[in-house]
Amino acid sequence: MSNVIRHTLLIGALLGAFAFLFVGAGTTIPMAEWDWVDIASEGGTSLLAALWCLIVLSSRPDGLVTRLLAGGLACIMLGSWADCLDEVVDIDKAALWDNALESLLPLGMLILTVGMYYWRLEQATLSDHMRKRERLFRNHRPFDRITQLADAAYLREQLRLESRRTEGESASALVLFDIDEFHRINREHGQAEGDRVLQAVAHMLLLNLRNDDLLCRYAGDRFAVLMPGLTELEARDAAQHLCRMVSSMRHHAPKGRVRISLRHGCAPAQGAPDALLATLCRQMDAV
Amino acid sequence: MIAWQAAGDPSIQARQQPALALEYGRSRDARDADLLRDTGLVAGLDPDGLVSPAQYQQQLANTLRILDSSDTSFMLGQLLLPGHDGAASHALVQAPNLRTLLQTLCRFHARLTPLLRPRFETWGDVALLYWVDAYGAPGIRPALVEMHMTAVVALCRWLGGERLPWRFCFNRGAPRHVEQHHVHLGAELRFGCQLDAMLLPAAWLDRPWPRASEMAARLAQQAAEQEEERAPGMLAALYDYLLDHVRMAPTLERTAADFGVSPATFKRQLLRHHTHFQGELDGVRTHVALWLFQVERADNEEVARYLGFHDAANFRRSFKRWTGLTPGPIRAALDGELGWFTGALEPGM
Repeated sequence: MSNVIRHTLLIGALLGAFAFLFVGAGTTIPMAEWDWVDIASEGGTSLLAALWCLIVLSSRPDGLVTRLLAGGLACIMLGSWADCLDEVVDIDKAALWDNALESLLPLGMLILTVGMYYWRLEQATLSDHMRKRERLFRNHRPFDRITQLADAAYLREQLRLESRRTEGESASALVLFDIDEFHRINREHGQAEGDRVLQAVAHMLLLNLRNDDLLCRYAGDRFAVLMPGLTELEARDAAQHLCRMVSSMRHHAPKGRVRISLRHGCAPAQGAPDALLATLCRQMDAV
Repeated sequence: MIAWQAAGDPSIQARQQPALALEYGRSRDARDADLLRDTGLVAGLDPDGLVSPAQYQQQLANTLRILDSSDTSFMLGQLLLPGHDGAASHALVQAPNLRTLLQTLCRFHARLTPLLRPRFETWGDVALLYWVDAYGAPGIRPALVEMHMTAVVALCRWLGGERLPWRFCFNRGAPRHVEQHHVHLGAELRFGCQLDAMLLPAAWLDRPWPRASEMAARLAQQAAEQEEERAPGMLAALYDYLLDHVRMAPTLERTAADFGVSPATFKRQLLRHHTHFQGELDGVRTHVALWLFQVERADNEEVARYLGFHDAANFRRSFKRWTGLTPGPIRAALDGELGWFTGALEPGM
């Protein structure tokens, strides 16, 4: 059974249990005296809170922040539900449990607030982690699943922004890297090992980049680094350093050690992105 | 009578191309049930069973849709060749040079690349490999072309030990994911052509490859020849037939008789392959006209006469209907393409 279904059933059961409790403990108010506006607003709040709770549970991995957010929303849901049932069922005002249930609403808001606070901390950590992988704006679509790097479409977008922003005053450079004999690694060690090599190279490159640089997986075994503020000569120097760092890496596959080395091509990041990338790719084919 | 295979008949060994594609889908975290949806393979893929080309096509379409990644067709292509088809695959690996490799691939295409049929032509300094539909799959045709071109490029690179200066023509508009073409194929790409083709300077065909052994190659070839012949796909067989008979004004009735079925059955089968007789015939005549323009430097008059048209004006009108363009601009575009290609022959060679 999928998690979503399990959570939906659990929430449904809680709401049902509350309804049972109220109907069993009190006397139903005749329908003529129902205040429909109150019922709709409190019941609606409760159902929407249930929906938010489900969305949080199904879209985030389990953890402290998820539990706080979902728990807070669940309390709000139950508190409003108790309010709503109060409108329909008459409970003795002296009953403490009824008051306790209604106070779930403010308690839920408190828990939700604490959750939001931790969520903010979590976001700060993630943003730090993503800094060299995305610049200037966030778009959740164009990320490569294997390396968690931005893809070629994102790179083209960034090149377009870069050329519009600088308008030729400060230089930027674009460097492409290919892994030597990558097709052989795939043939001899299998694609799964090839994927691990891609991840290792991506990590190594990330560790050696400046905070301003953007690393993308262009396609296959080709990586692209946009280096804002560097001239072609400086970028070439940086690229050679990156190649040295990667070739000093040791990658261990089940069938033994795999030697990894890179070759690179470099150009000033000017002009239309498509033409720039096509020219640079031609240069890579000739290396 | 001509041997052929319909898309619905089980003819592909499940342990081969379908199993490779399934394995790839699994490695990218897709579930078997989703990958095999609507294929009719309810019990999963039985490695010892046979799969029909239509089922295999559906499986590929599912894989492309579920993985939703622009590199899927290219990664599947990396896995496609040499394949695991015993003697035929072995003959590919043992090929001493590119010419033998391409001839072997075309000879055993029904086993090695069942969905697309490669055709290998050379003239002057040019070697050309182009891809023809074997069973008709309009929805995934661009992905199939990417997959098969990648397979040949990757195999040649592996066996030859170096990147070959291939150039590519695509019968489609420029895609959004052109970066995949750059990396898996090469930077010399042309879109909006009439053919899905790969071009190479012919001088590369006969360069001996590093591990080549004449003896092993001959033995492997003989072993492959002795295996039971696999019939080509219906559209591949029809393409070959029409190319042979293009000057004899082929008709549906005559062709159906040569294919050993009634005209009605033949028509119905073509419909199941998402095409019709006239469409296939026009396609072949387009290719022949392009060939005559390009290689024989023929003018409209000569092509019209060759293809059995009354006069050049008649041919011109038909050509416009086939391709959407009159021969003039096409010829200019071809010259541009050949110029683009022969221009590249000079410095590198």
